[in-house]
Amino acid sequence: MSVGVKEKAAGWEPLIVAFCCNWCSYAGGDLAGTSRLTYPSNVKVIRVPCSGRMNPMFVLRAFQRGADGVIVAGCHPGDCHYSTGNYSARRRLSAFKRLVEFAGFEPERFEVRWISSSEGDKFAEEMTGITERIKALGPNGKMRDARWQKKA
Amino acid sequence: MAEKSLKEAEKIREIVGQDLLGGRIGLLLGWEKGHYWWQSRPLFAKNEADLEKLTWDSFCVINLSRYLLEELKEHGKVGVLVKGCDARAFNRLLQDNMVARDRVVLYGLPCPGMLDYGRLNEEAGGALISISESNGSVTLKTGTGEKSVERDQVLMKKCAECVYPDPVVYDQLLLSPQGKKEGVERFKSVEDLEELTPDERFAYWEGELSRCLRCYACRQVCPFCSCRECFVEQDNPRWQGRAYQPGENFMFHLVRAYHGTGRCIDCGECERACPVDIPLQELNRKLIKDINQLYGDYEAGVDAEADPPLLTYRPDDPAAFSEK
Ligand code: SF4
Ligand code: SF4
Repeated sequence: MSVGVKEKAAGWEPLIVAFCCNWCSYAGGDLAGTSRLTYPSNVKVIRVPCSGRMNPMFVLRAFQRGADGVIVAGCHPGDCHYSTGNYSARRRLSAFKRLVEFAGFEPERFEVRWISSSEGDKFAEEMTGITERIKALGPNGKMRDARWQKKA
Repeated sequence: MAEKSLKEAEKIREIVGQDLLGGRIGLLLGWEKGHYWWQSRPLFAKNEADLEKLTWDSFCVINLSRYLLEELKEHGKVGVLVKGCDARAFNRLLQDNMVARDRVVLYGLPCPGMLDYGRLNEEAGGALISISESNGSVTLKTGTGEKSVERDQVLMKKCAECVYPDPVVYDQLLLSPQGKKEGVERFKSVEDLEELTPDERFAYWEGELSRCLRCYACRQVCPFCSCRECFVEQDNPRWQGRAYQPGENFMFHLVRAYHGTGRCIDCGECERACPVDIPLQELNRKLIKDINQLYGDYEAGVDAEADPPLLTYRPDDPAAFSEK
């Protein structure tokens, strides 16, 4: 059986999965890097072509396989490389966020942010922010696959 | 059996009979009695002898529109009896391009609501032998006597909560309309769950979903689940693990419900079909409630021309996350 929020073991560090759109947020992450801004290494970035590419199952799979928090980052509405991908994503992910909260996930566990390719500072800030919030909240046990083990 | 429904069945048989025997349609989807008096199962009528079996009583709960997916492969033109929910299911299939409007003849049946065998038994308080109906009341016959109850008390839950008992689309209306129902309370249990803390809600769902057999009956009856290949059976990538794990149960249920965002017609067939009584409607209705609140009122299946909320957008849409 799974548990909700688990006890924080000594030395526990959260695992954050960040799905970043190729054209804005991923480039924003690059800019953060070249500007020598730091953000926590807890964040693992996965590049997607567009926030509209997000399949909600990506998020659930991340929770199954060990994520403590998931963030989707895409271009600001109006700036989508494919014109309308993030407009669709906004509706879909809004409904999905409400659904995962209804299933019992804390609101902090799943977030969506708009980060442009020129917002390296915002990228670093948001990644630090979600890491801090998840750290305060504790490990996620919900939906965790019992067979999943964090590699030592 | 009530006089009224026998008369109605006679009338239905006569009208659809002309079309079936006259060759306008090759098959009629209706209901017939099954093994038990408290069940009416789908009837696939091709000739006069089949038509004799046609039934219209208080147990014709099964949604027939979904059978079109298979039957249209074999028959050029199919006639279907549609209650309110069957008609909205038809619109759903139409919007998904799963059926061709000109290959289907819809016979509308305004629906008084179907009866729940479980509730009938509870009310009877003993072994129920048969029922009879007249003017909004139901007489329950048990081994030891008779008892009368209001029809509303023994309706199926999904019928008691139904807003559109009249077909919203049809070629011919066979009975007189019931009228749209006002003041139906659909979201109470969703709101109650929203009051809980995340951990309490998770525990609630973990308990409910732990009974799931993954039989997929809920998907099989659903008018929006019409994909030829469903994610639960997809092998590569394999989204849905087969293991009995809480995480896998959540995966199935969240994704099943989510695929219905703006598409679920709130017919309640999934919950009725579930052999272990999982409150699937609570997940579906959470999405209906939120999507309506965020992006404007929309009733799936009511108007086949209106865009479902996830297939459209406005540049100034609100978002449920902290950024607009
Ligand atoms: S999810 Fe359930 S209530 Fe919604 S359309 Fe499908 S069967 Fe009907
Ligand atoms: S019908 Fe019930 S038991 Fe079967 S898969 Fe659906 S929820 Fe699970």
